[in-house]
Amino acid sequence: MKDKTTTGSDLQPDDAGFPAGKVFLSGIAGLILAVAVNSSTLLADAERLPDSRSRSLWIAIWTPIEDVASTLRLTWPRRAGDFLLGRNEDEDRISLHREKIAPKPDSQELTVLSVGEETSEYELDQKPALAAEPVWSSNNPFTIWVLGDSMVQFFGDTFVMMAERSSSVAAVSEPKLASGLSRPDYFDWPARISEVMTAHDPDAVILMFGGNDAQNIKTKDGLWLERFTAQWEEEYRKRIASVMDLATGDEGRIVLWVGQPPMRGDGFDARMQRLNDLYRSEAVSWENVHYIDLRSLFTDESGNYARYLPDSSGKLTDVRLTDGVHLSHWGGEWLSTLLLNEIKKTPNLDWLWNE
Amino acid sequence: MARSWMRVAIALDLVLLGVFKYYDFFAVELSNLLGGRATIPLLELTLPVGISFFTFQAMSYVIDLNRKVIKPMSMLDFAVYLSFFPQLVAGPIVRAAEMAPQIRNHPDPRQVASGEAFQLILRGLFKKVVVSSWLASSIVDDVFANPEGHSSQDVLLGVYAYAIQIYADFSGYTDIAIGVALLLGFRFPTNFDRPYRALSLREFWQRWHITLSSWLRDYLYIPLGGNRGKEVETYRNLLLTMILGGLWHGSTWNFVIWGLIHGIALAVERMLPNRQTHPGIRWLATFHIVCFAWVFFRADSLASALDVFSAIASLPSSVELTNALIILGIAGVLVAQFFPYSRSEQVKRRLSKQRVLTQGLAFGCGLVLIDLFGPEGVAPFIYFQF
Repeated sequence: MKDKTTTGSDLQPDDAGFPAGKVFLSGIAGLILAVAVNSSTLLADAERLPDSRSRSLWIAIWTPIEDVASTLRLTWPRRAGDFLLGRNEDEDRISLHREKIAPKPDSQELTVLSVGEETSEYELDQKPALAAEPVWSSNNPFTIWVLGDSMVQFFGDTFVMMAERSSSVAAVSEPKLASGLSRPDYFDWPARISEVMTAHDPDAVILMFGGNDAQNIKTKDGLWLERFTAQWEEEYRKRIASVMDLATGDEGRIVLWVGQPPMRGDGFDARMQRLNDLYRSEAVSWENVHYIDLRSLFTDESGNYARYLPDSSGKLTDVRLTDGVHLSHWGGEWLSTLLLNEIKKTPNLDWLWNE
Repeated sequence: MARSWMRVAIALDLVLLGVFKYYDFFAVELSNLLGGRATIPLLELTLPVGISFFTFQAMSYVIDLNRKVIKPMSMLDFAVYLSFFPQLVAGPIVRAAEMAPQIRNHPDPRQVASGEAFQLILRGLFKKVVVSSWLASSIVDDVFANPEGHSSQDVLLGVYAYAIQIYADFSGYTDIAIGVALLLGFRFPTNFDRPYRALSLREFWQRWHITLSSWLRDYLYIPLGGNRGKEVETYRNLLLTMILGGLWHGSTWNFVIWGLIHGIALAVERMLPNRQTHPGIRWLATFHIVCFAWVFFRADSLASALDVFSAIASLPSSVELTNALIILGIAGVLVAQFFPYSRSEQVKRRLSKQRVLTQGLAFGCGLVLIDLFGPEGVAPFIYFQF
């Protein structure tokens, strides 16, 4: 990559150039070539869009172009390139639907009120205990995986850093941008969670979904269910249950399901609140799944979204990004503190970050 | 009279910038300073896209008018100048003196430098989509998110990688902006000139974000007195200019510290006797001071920046992120900084001499290759936030 970002009055073109009309047409010819060669990728991208008029429009545009380009054998260079770069892996996808286990009669929902609160403020009658009580150490660390959408992107690494301040803890953050439970055709979270549980068998799992999920759902039969209809809700609940089931596993692994924080946009906030209600109510069915409510943590005195909030010492802190959705570095620290405190409440883990 | 109007215009520009960009920052700092004794309302305004850039352009217009460097533009010409989309979002900061004659004379639609424009756009896209995004996702984001969790070698390489990432990101945007403007018949000034070949901080600022550094020089440093007064006044002017330059990037203390480091380094450089130091040592020192300052520029907070240095100073342990490809990529970009300029000129000439249809089809092929090698999602340009 060479530099000298060229031009400037000191640099004149070597030739006089071409008429604007010809340049325009040649540029269009180049774009048409690029679109034809890339048409398979463009179509695949369009299919990943949320179910909407825009998605239908793009699919309607790219499908015939892809047909023509394939017929003319124009798509093979891109396919060959993808193949050479190892991007053509067709992974076996598991079913989204697994049988939901029967709710435990003594299970409780756990709602945390704010960062830094002591355990006494939200004691559980019965805390979940790990199946065994191994001695955690640097050689045998307590492992935590954080999985989810772009919200995890913004606090996952901070959580890992804070969690690994204990030499007896190993943490991993794995966000997938623009993902969720609504569109397994884009990213199949149940499949990935199953892989992680099988391959790594973590001791605790933190999950955060929802930001991209308030959209129409495509069922395995190819039907689209309209957002927030009764059928949609039934299907989405099944997906939540499936993920909770996969994550807890047979050994009763600790699962923290993080709800969505308040959002700046009223409409988006209302949609996230509806999803939070589903997560909260589904979590009740699993003894080891704790729903973590973030609304009280990230709202001001009036209960509204706020970018700046006072920390425990009263200092105003910038906890949200300018997009009004994601958490800032400091917001990530608040959430991470909350989650670590939550894990510490497990009987044999209370010493973990007190070393 | 004209001088008074200029002051009013500059004050209005600065008030707009101040309200949108700095009000909340200072309100929060003041609230925290008062310790809850007074509550200062926050505005939480959405920052208008490109406000830092177009405010500086508007200020340059009124100042140059007052200095009689330029003649007044018509309202329509001025509107085109201020809202010209290629550079509106992230520069380069084009002065009225550079744009006004081009707008007034109308570009010749029979002579569009298409070869040069297509090459610039492709080069910019390659820098952004392939180089910048790849370095960010392979090492930089991980290292800066959790410096304590990585080995000292990984963190050190992550800092070098960020130096390359921000250069590829920002100069890539500039290339695209210049290329798009060329297609419309306008020529923008040079904004980057192989900055990492600099042998001094002074030279670095003659090569990095040139339109900002020359703006700060002409409209801040020199009016403050420049180097015309006593030595101590020159140092003060340098520090003030660089601190305000840092604050221009964003309303956080990290940007202030970034500017302060550059200001101190420029002042120290000026203090040092003019000895014949080996160019290799001068290059190493310059590059590392720039990288040191970049840590504050990139880190989320002062504490995070200090964590990065603490991680670099820790005992070496096993590497996780470092690999030969990243090392080669960083080294390749650095080596390319020393290539003679004629090499890239040759590529440009070759493309410019092709038939226009060949140029267009080559442009299309380039787009496919960049999309192929780029990651699935590309983050916004770093300089969009300023």
